[in-house]
Amino acid sequence: MTDRENEDFTLEARLTRLESILARMESEEVDLDEALQLFEEGVAHVREAERVLSETELRVEELLASGETQEIEDGEA
Amino acid sequence: MSDDLRLDLFEGNDDVSVEPAPPPAPEPKVWSVSQVNRAVKGLLEDNVEPLWVGGEIGQWTRSRAGHCYFTLKDDQAQLKSVMFARDAALLPTDPAEGMKVRCFGGLTLYETRGDYQMVARRVEADGAEGLWRKAFEELKVRLEADGLLAHERKRPLPAYPRTIGVVTSPTGAAFRDIVSVLARRAPWTRVILCGARVQGQGASSEVAAALERLVASELPDVIIVGRGGGSLEDLWAFNEEPLARAIASCPIPVVSAVGHEVDVTISDLVADVRAPTPSAAAETVVPDGVALLAQVQRSPERLGRGLRRAVQRRRVAVVDRLARLARGIERRLTPVRQSLDMGSLALERGMNQRVERQRARLKGLGGRLEALSPLATLSRGYTVARTPEGRVLRRVHEFGAGMRFHLRLDDGTIAAEAVGPVDPEGTDE
Repeated sequence: MTDRENEDFTLEARLTRLESILARMESEEVDLDEALQLFEEGVAHVREAERVLSETELRVEELLASGETQEIEDGEA
Repeated sequence: MSDDLRLDLFEGNDDVSVEPAPPPAPEPKVWSVSQVNRAVKGLLEDNVEPLWVGGEIGQWTRSRAGHCYFTLKDDQAQLKSVMFARDAALLPTDPAEGMKVRCFGGLTLYETRGDYQMVARRVEADGAEGLWRKAFEELKVRLEADGLLAHERKRPLPAYPRTIGVVTSPTGAAFRDIVSVLARRAPWTRVILCGARVQGQGASSEVAAALERLVASELPDVIIVGRGGGSLEDLWAFNEEPLARAIASCPIPVVSAVGHEVDVTISDLVADVRAPTPSAAAETVVPDGVALLAQVQRSPERLGRGLRRAVQRRRVAVVDRLARLARGIERRLTPVRQSLDMGSLALERGMNQRVERQRARLKGLGGRLEALSPLATLSRGYTVARTPEGRVLRRVHEFGAGMRFHLRLDDGTIAAEAVGPVDPEGTDE
């Protein structure tokens, strides 16, 4: 998997892929070559997902009539 | 009231009472119909406070202009009633004939026809909520007929949405609750609010329009539509057709969250998921970030285990293949080894036979040889004389006097010396 592909993953796609890698790795039939490849790919997804999930600031926006969005400064307002 | 009536009726007739003598033939005061009706109308309107009247709906007709004409009745009496379009528009639905209702309004008189009637401003059935329930059931039946409530239509929510659309009042508690839950559980997400008025006339269409604008923005992965708690009337926008249809046709999964746990609205029934409250809706649309992060962080360990197992499997596979190879070779060798074994057995047997035959032959030869042997004769007392060189001496003349020779006896050989010939007739042996 190239870096470019790695960036294009949404969190959903990434976690879904990670789950399917884990399922495959934990099944009985993966041969060593595939397991190595899956391991590397899986670890890349873990790193990236971890980065995304560690985000701490919720973005709150409002949809304007123009169809654009504008940040709501105070989410509690 | 009767005093007022009398005063009213005799107003403008002061000249009659001023005259002390009875008039010979006083012309009676004649009122026009309009005057009377107007006077009675005034009496009714000025003297009867607006009131609640309970009864059963007789006939109910809604005109094209939206005015509703109906009768209220009980066992013995009827009361003509009207509800004008402005008030009738607020009715969730028309009451059915025979329905027990209570109406709030004032009494008046319809001058054109002289009909005394009630102008109803509110009509409520079976307690305050009856008409709402009726409207709810009617809409539910219509939506059901169109298949919009079918369980098969419910779509699963995305497990990890990036962007969450929210349609609600920008100033309501619902939005604050949603934002605070999302900030706690899934701060990596993006929230996009499309504000709408969530109660009052036209709210249903406004919420529907906001939903459609969110869809058009193509931003959200999932949408929460809702509002906080309120009276049944406050929540009514979520029981109306425009919003129900908008939710049903929304291409993005919708979570409906209206009011409190106990309030179930049409929106809830049409949406993909019903959440009991706005906060619960927020909890439903995103995973718990802390748990998810922990789970992601456990993944490398699981991946490592998988890899180790794959190595182990490969090792087992190699050993297994070696064993199978060995078994294969063994299988192919066995017949060879057996025939080799049998060959060597045959060979051995052959050898033995041959030895045996030779031995038998040898024995036979030995017998024959023995039969030919002179030694047998010697054992009977005969001797053989031979020169020391081994030449057999058969004739007398071959012996010279004093010649040394050997005598072979049965059990050995002795050296001898010839003395001379003996008289051929003299001795007999």
